[in-house]
Amino acid sequence: MDLGLYIAASGMVAEQTRQAQLSNDLANASTPGYKADESPQHSFGELLLLNTTTGQPIGAVNTGVQIGKTVTDMTPTGMQDTGQPLDFGIVGVGFFAVQTPQGVRYTRDGQFTSSAQGQLVDGAGDAVLGQSGSPIQVGADGTVPASALGVFEVPGAVKQGENLFSGTAAGRATGTVRVGALEESGVNAARTMVAMIGSLRTFQSGQQAIQAIDQTLQAAATQVGSLTGTP
Amino acid sequence: MLEGMYAAASGMAAQQQQLDSIGNDLANVSTTGYKAQRTGFRDLLYNQVTIAGTTTAVGAGAATEDVGRDQREGTVQSTGNPLDLAIEGPGFFTVKRADGSVALTRDGSFQLDSQGRLTTAEGNLLDPPIALPKGTSPDDVAIGPDGTVRVGTRTVGKIAVVDVAAPDRMLADGGNLFTATAASGAPRPQASATIHQGAVEGSNVDVGSEMVRMMSAQRAYQLESSAIQTENQMLSIANQLRS
Repeated sequence: MDLGLYIAASGMVAEQTRQAQLSNDLANASTPGYKADESPQHSFGELLLLNTTTGQPIGAVNTGVQIGKTVTDMTPTGMQDTGQPLDFGIVGVGFFAVQTPQGVRYTRDGQFTSSAQGQLVDGAGDAVLGQSGSPIQVGADGTVPASALGVFEVPGAVKQGENLFSGTAAGRATGTVRVGALEESGVNAARTMVAMIGSLRTFQSGQQAIQAIDQTLQAAATQVGSLTGTP
Repeated sequence: MLEGMYAAASGMAAQQQQLDSIGNDLANVSTTGYKAQRTGFRDLLYNQVTIAGTTTAVGAGAATEDVGRDQREGTVQSTGNPLDLAIEGPGFFTVKRADGSVALTRDGSFQLDSQGRLTTAEGNLLDPPIALPKGTSPDDVAIGPDGTVRVGTRTVGKIAVVDVAAPDRMLADGGNLFTATAASGAPRPQASATIHQGAVEGSNVDVGSEMVRMMSAQRAYQLESSAIQTENQMLSIANQLRS
């Protein structure tokens, strides 16, 4: 069947996925340390068309658009002062490390609290680690100095939900810890809304293209070879 | 197709919970010894969607996270009432409820019951109990910074101040009372706290920052609802493919 139908449909499928990611970004507009997702779109491989009888090349045809691998925008965002003694933010690059049952994970959400053992833990109760990889003790006055927290460089960190990233630490990062502040969500509401509208209209264009091709196919199916002909 | 809608809806639900906690904080702006709630947000699991061999991560939205309470001290308000006590520094008073269970509180507006014992406004006895000699006027009671209770020159008892390792993990029972849990650790004596007679600790709710949180929650709610509308429009466009 007409290749154009599938090309337009591939664009619509890509926009659907993009839209779902944008919705997730907006849902996390208040999540501290959240990093927005980007999914670049690129074309499928091109096909070279040849004349079936002479074998002469006619030219290349594109087979549509494909959504690429998700890229997380790791750019550090602004700090929001909370004044809470157990809220921490990293100014610059780097991650806090937490000891989860699945192993060490990394986060930029520094909204911590204390455990029954007097250790600094995250909202899920997992211990926050210092630069040496050992848990941090909360002082008798309920505070922890910024220097106690480890800041790790994690190249290629992969988001895994619950504000955590997985990856392998490669030493100390250049970021500095600020007490009483949280990193704001990396979602830019205005830009995300514009991207949503853009994506919606692209989706609609795909639908229009499919309808146009459908109409030409209909003409081919009902009029070509018709003996009555056009008046 | 619908995952984006559900992601946005989960974000709306999280903002709704945030608004609930702000509402509770604002309602307790004058509650003695009240500690504001700390609400956190987290993203949810990522669904790996594979289209034509390329895997794309699509998140499932957001949820709130309970990070306990703001343990900062409220402002100490002088009342002039000799049985009003405020704790300076970390720590709690221990009280015993009518059913014999023990609870912790920072609400130090005490009064005397018919037997001359110190009780909270709700009638919970201070633990260990402090009984004043019959006929003592509250004005004759002197309570020192270490909690020693004196009537004239006579020492009648000492008010204990206790603390737990993780005050954020205590159970809030309402009535300004908290119960120690396994996650908070058992109560232990707190020596560094000082007691202030004739004053109570006010609520630590900061109205200004609560209002800012409220506005930001409302806007985020609005954004997420327009995400649902956009998703809905896309569904309707897909439905009109064959028109």
